[in-house]
Amino acid sequence: MNGLLLAEGIVKSFGATRVLRGITMEIGRGEVVGLFGPNGSGKTTLANIVSGLLQPDRGRILFEGKDITRMTMDARFRAGISRTFQIPDPYPSLTVVESVRVALLGGQAARRARGEERGGLEEELDSLLVRTGLFAQRFWPAAKLSQGCLRRLEFARAISCRPRMILLDEVFSALSARDEAELVGLMRTLHREEEISFLVISHNPLILEELCDRVVAIEDGRVFWEGKPGDLAKYVPAANHGHESEIHGEG
Amino acid sequence: MKKTGASPSRKIPGALAAVAGVLLLLPLAGLDAFLLNVLTVGFLMAVYTGSWDIVGGVAGQVSLGHALFFGAATYGCALLTSLAGWPFPLAAAAALLLAAAAGAAAGALSAPLKGPFVALLTLALGEAAHEYFLGQTFFSPEGAYSWGGEGGIPVLLSGPPFSPWTLYYAALAFLVLSLWLMLRITRSEEGLFWTALSGSELSARASGVDIPKHKRRAFVVGSLFAGAAGIGFAACVGRATADDFSLELSFQAATFAAIGGRGTIVGPVLAALVFHSLLQGTGIPSEVRVLFYALVLLLTLRFFPGGVAGTLRERARSRRMVLQGKGRTR
Repeated sequence: MNGLLLAEGIVKSFGATRVLRGITMEIGRGEVVGLFGPNGSGKTTLANIVSGLLQPDRGRILFEGKDITRMTMDARFRAGISRTFQIPDPYPSLTVVESVRVALLGGQAARRARGEERGGLEEELDSLLVRTGLFAQRFWPAAKLSQGCLRRLEFARAISCRPRMILLDEVFSALSARDEAELVGLMRTLHREEEISFLVISHNPLILEELCDRVVAIEDGRVFWEGKPGDLAKYVPAANHGHESEIHGEG
Repeated sequence: MKKTGASPSRKIPGALAAVAGVLLLLPLAGLDAFLLNVLTVGFLMAVYTGSWDIVGGVAGQVSLGHALFFGAATYGCALLTSLAGWPFPLAAAAALLLAAAAGAAAGALSAPLKGPFVALLTLALGEAAHEYFLGQTFFSPEGAYSWGGEGGIPVLLSGPPFSPWTLYYAALAFLVLSLWLMLRITRSEEGLFWTALSGSELSARASGVDIPKHKRRAFVVGSLFAGAAGIGFAACVGRATADDFSLELSFQAATFAAIGGRGTIVGPVLAALVFHSLLQGTGIPSEVRVLFYALVLLLTLRFFPGGVAGTLRERARSRRMVLQGKGRTR
């Protein structure tokens, strides 16, 4: 199988609370996988383990066939796995363009080592800002951006390392219709043109049905169901009243 | 504005040139040797406070033991010239390395820590060094003298002592050069990484920034400038004492930087220059000085949370946003 990322037997506890009880999931090259689950099901913990923010108690993560379980988040970013955060945490004293520059420089050395460096930094910076629709606000302090622009900034950061895979944590929730449509469009373009794989985390079944090739539903730290997005509502009870519970920020 | 890192308003270079011009001409106005010396040490303290701001302001690793790097350099100069008999320039070079080594060690130890824990660790390191050197006695090669503690150890200069004028202009040149270098560094790629990790470690990590590595680098660069200031101080005063590691020296840097505006380099440097000269020039006793630090720090935090330079920068920035029509409408 042409798997890009494999998370195998992931177990994680916080104190006495077992959050993940042995989760195995795979993401193929160019595949868009949805991760569905109610609040507190362990979605974000799994995302944190896949992106390297947390270490699992047991299990391993393979990326392009290599074991990256002990790799830090910044090293994973340089290796081609990036992510966005449910609650963006912008740099208080940097502008938008400076914030994106940090990420561009952060990934640059690794790309140079792999011989993938093309074009100048300034051009790439401008093109990232244009693609994410932030060019007009580039000299704004990042902390003064609206919620929609903050998500765009998260996107710009995530794609600046030319990733093989992006993990989107509730990136489409609580957005205006226009922001949502533009970010969905951007994601589709990235998927189509650069064959980037996505792991889309959401508690909103409509978004997952719209975007994903496959959906994995987790509950109580286990894989509960896995299949076509269209069948989600049929097999997963929680997905039926998903759109009423537009509540974010899980424990 | 086109480069990276902190972006101060455009008036700053002009204002700094004016300050430098005044300082250049001041000795001709007939200052006595005492005031000349106060200003000379003020220049060194300004560099020392700027070096604190690299670590505690730009990189956000609030250090309360910064005197460690200053004292490492003064003691290096004193021990190597008086005990080992090295010529001063060689001892100074070694002292600079010693300060950088202390910085590398403090950086490596505090890299995994955050916020108040960095402050506590550096406080402990600085105080440990202070206590150690307070009690440590060194014997002169002939065995005629015992040195150390508050009495200090002489720093032997190779050659005749410098005149107050030479020291004044040398220290002023050192300040101008250091300020220029520190601003260059904070506006480089490295400086941008420091500003980023001080603002949000989470976002910086998710941007591929190796946080421990860049924290260590901030400590090394900061300790190099603090060490250079220490060498200047040793040459100027001719003695290294345990006070060079003192808590007052560490706190003073953090206070002056907070007043001037953390993370702006220029603000802390100017604040140190002004306050050092005022406090020393008027001969206020040290107990009153400490009280004064606390009072001014409280007032600054209440009325100018970003410090003077930080508040000015914020104002210039929002004005620019409105002028360019990029700000939100009032």
